[in-house]
Amino acid sequence: MDVSQYLEIFLDETREHLSSLNTQILNLEQNPEDQDTINEIFRAAHSLKGMAGTMGFKRMQNLTHDMENVFSEIRNGAMKVSSNLIDILFQTLDALEEYTSNIQETADEGTNDNQNIIDMLNEFLNSKGETGGEEKPKKGKAKKAEKEAKEEAPAEEAPSGGASDEEKFRKIPIGETEEGVIAAAISEGKNVYGFTVYVNEACLLKAARAFLVYKAVEEKGEILLSDPSAQDIEDEKFDFDFSLIVISEHKIDDIINAAKAVSEIDKVVGAPLNASEAASQAKKEEDEEESKAPAAPAAEHKETAPAAAPAAQNAAKAAKTQGKPVVNRTVRVDIEKLDVLMNLVSELIIAKNSLVSASFTDGVSGASFNEQIEYLESVTTNLHESVMKVRMVPIESVVSKFPRMIRDLSKKLDKKMELYMSGEETELDRTVVDEIGDPLMHLLRNSADHGLESAEIRAQRGKPEVGSIFLDAYQDGNNVVIEVRDDGNGIDVEAVKNKAIERGVVTPEQAENMAEKDIINLLFNAGFSTAKVISDVSGRGVGLDVVKSKIEALSGEVEVHSKLGEGSTWTIRLPLTLAIIQALMVVVGGEKYAISLGSIQTIEDVSPDEIKLVQNEEVMTLRGNVIPIIRLDKELDTVSSKKPEDNLVVAVAKKGEKLAGFVVDELIGQQEIVIKSLGKYINKSKLISGATILGDGEIALILDANALI
Amino acid sequence: MADEVRITNADLIVDEGEKVQYIVIKLGNEQYGIDIKYIDNIIRMQSITRVPHVPNYIKGVINVRGEVIPVLNLRLKMGLDEIEDTKASRIIILKLEQFGLLGFIVDEVKEVVTLSEIQIEKVAYDGTDEKQNFVFGVGKTDTDLISLLDMNVVCAENGK
Repeated sequence: MDVSQYLEIFLDETREHLSSLNTQILNLEQNPEDQDTINEIFRAAHSLKGMAGTMGFKRMQNLTHDMENVFSEIRNGAMKVSSNLIDILFQTLDALEEYTSNIQETADEGTNDNQNIIDMLNEFLNSKGETGGEEKPKKGKAKKAEKEAKEEAPAEEAPSGGASDEEKFRKIPIGETEEGVIAAAISEGKNVYGFTVYVNEACLLKAARAFLVYKAVEEKGEILLSDPSAQDIEDEKFDFDFSLIVISEHKIDDIINAAKAVSEIDKVVGAPLNASEAASQAKKEEDEEESKAPAAPAAEHKETAPAAAPAAQNAAKAAKTQGKPVVNRTVRVDIEKLDVLMNLVSELIIAKNSLVSASFTDGVSGASFNEQIEYLESVTTNLHESVMKVRMVPIESVVSKFPRMIRDLSKKLDKKMELYMSGEETELDRTVVDEIGDPLMHLLRNSADHGLESAEIRAQRGKPEVGSIFLDAYQDGNNVVIEVRDDGNGIDVEAVKNKAIERGVVTPEQAENMAEKDIINLLFNAGFSTAKVISDVSGRGVGLDVVKSKIEALSGEVEVHSKLGEGSTWTIRLPLTLAIIQALMVVVGGEKYAISLGSIQTIEDVSPDEIKLVQNEEVMTLRGNVIPIIRLDKELDTVSSKKPEDNLVVAVAKKGEKLAGFVVDELIGQQEIVIKSLGKYINKSKLISGATILGDGEIALILDANALI
Repeated sequence: MADEVRITNADLIVDEGEKVQYIVIKLGNEQYGIDIKYIDNIIRMQSITRVPHVPNYIKGVINVRGEVIPVLNLRLKMGLDEIEDTKASRIIILKLEQFGLLGFIVDEVKEVVTLSEIQIEKVAYDGTDEKQNFVFGVGKTDTDLISLLDMNVVCAENGK
């Protein structure tokens, strides 16, 4: 069974359900009696089960099935929610998440049955639920069997009952051409059949099922007509049934059986059509057009008559149609398509830049030309911004899992703590959002583990018993700032200093001369991930150095401010977009380089005798600050075209609190540049973060100022 | 990796009616063949933007239709001496699954030949001669001998 084309949708929706389950279960812990929440959880679990089943992920289906069972009991009021249950549920979610990530990576759910969790769920059912004994798992099966039986029952009854209602294919409008084809086929001795296929209402990937039915039927004959159209079926624009008119040499039962063999197909009704019927049907279509209004309600009446089930179906349909407009406001777009769009915008900006540079070199001028160029410029800038906005997603998708994590940590560490979040709606480029989860998680774990004190110490210090961790996100100009703050112990500078010396990160002499800030920054040093730091909680082998490098890889920066006894604040600053930046163009040794304008503070003209040597390193004094000088020609393995006695052009860059001066030969100016990767083959160059194509087609490399400071 | 590639090449020869087309290039006096399926483009020499701190055989990056493509000197990559660019020098742009687009500077691009399986003599793998590892077979035409390059192997030894 080929369902791979639905894998993406499955993964997306599973994630949504899991994230909603996470939130809802947390909610449930606060309000164990809340019926809405319970219903919501039940629904999500049920949907998950159905989807996993459809996709053939048996283990995942089993697990969700048991979870659903528990909630079905709770919903019926047979059991109460306990904190024990909440714990089990969270474990279940973790297991489900594991399946999901397995599926994403390998298209397979893996081999972990998570039997212990299933056992726990069942045990819970048995201990508190009305039914006892070990039959429970069997009962689950029995239930299933029962369900299946129920599903089959109407199929058997149906033909005897309202057969004509179900033969919806008789209502397919047949056009003149099709009529001709049918007549020709019949005269050739072929059979013409009409079918109506009913898909199980619990089926979540209707289109996938319909597709399989299509394939099965096509093997037996030619599908002449379908209602709704094949395209609509593929787009899932149908309720739970669709009708086909098929020309085939096979017997009708063969085709019905072939279609029925597809799972989650409730029933297939079919009958041969003869030429006159087809003709009458064609006529009926005309009639119907005239009397469409009365016909439709009549059909609906018929449907409600036989049993309650169709009524429910109608209700479901009604609910669906009501909900639809809201859903249709958004479109799911493959991120790759957006990448293509972004690339095209980038090309356009490059083309615009070429036009600007051509107008200078070729001496084209005139007021109207300049006006048009300016107009073009404003259009490309707006276009760039719009495309950028499309790529933006709220960070909510990442941070929504944190309350749950803090809750778990609180239990594990036996500390009372609460997470307060704000600015979840702050938007960032999708690629950045995908990457930011791990660093944030690490900082939160760090705050929970090392930052917050135990309840006793907090009481001694006169702090509230429950520790607070804050996660605040907001936009600041062209950056997004995410702050992780706690009201815990803060960073003990002396302890950090001692540890740094002990680890050999700095010498005792160096440590003596270091400012408090610099010592705290040692925490980000790769050598600082000590065994003690990597605990079960804040570890997983990821140190703060990894947090830092990850954020820097996203062209962002991370800083920490701390006050001993009062808490610490970790500040992450990220650019809004990664693809197009404002850059300062410079020349070094005859080669052009771009430096992100974001990191440049000032440009200074420095005479050579202002450069002093401190500890054998060149420095200069700038408004009272001593800042190190970095000669880019040396860093870039080239030779400056300037004479030693010439004044130096120094671009002063800032990284966090640190300043450094880059010596360049010449400044070209400011330019909007499109960042391009150097390709997979060149990835070791740390200094160079990418390349850009200039207006004249030349390539300029982009210098990573952060790597140099 | 290298072995796998050899197998696919052999398969291809059989699949495609035993015939595969090769672009014949020259390095010094020797002729080398590159399977035409890898070729994206062949361009004249153009100015190459140097990238600092990379192995010497990576000459830098060029702009081809808006793409930034790394350029390697095939002579240096194969352990030969670098020579001055001539009028005949070309950059062959290959598309490799593993590395994306890559440019190779060669002395000259001669022609396209079609070789059938019987014209190719497989070269036994010999771990001692590095240059030899790049060649998976020798093709014989009426007049010439062409060493057939396994470009995935040529590129794979990155970092040397």
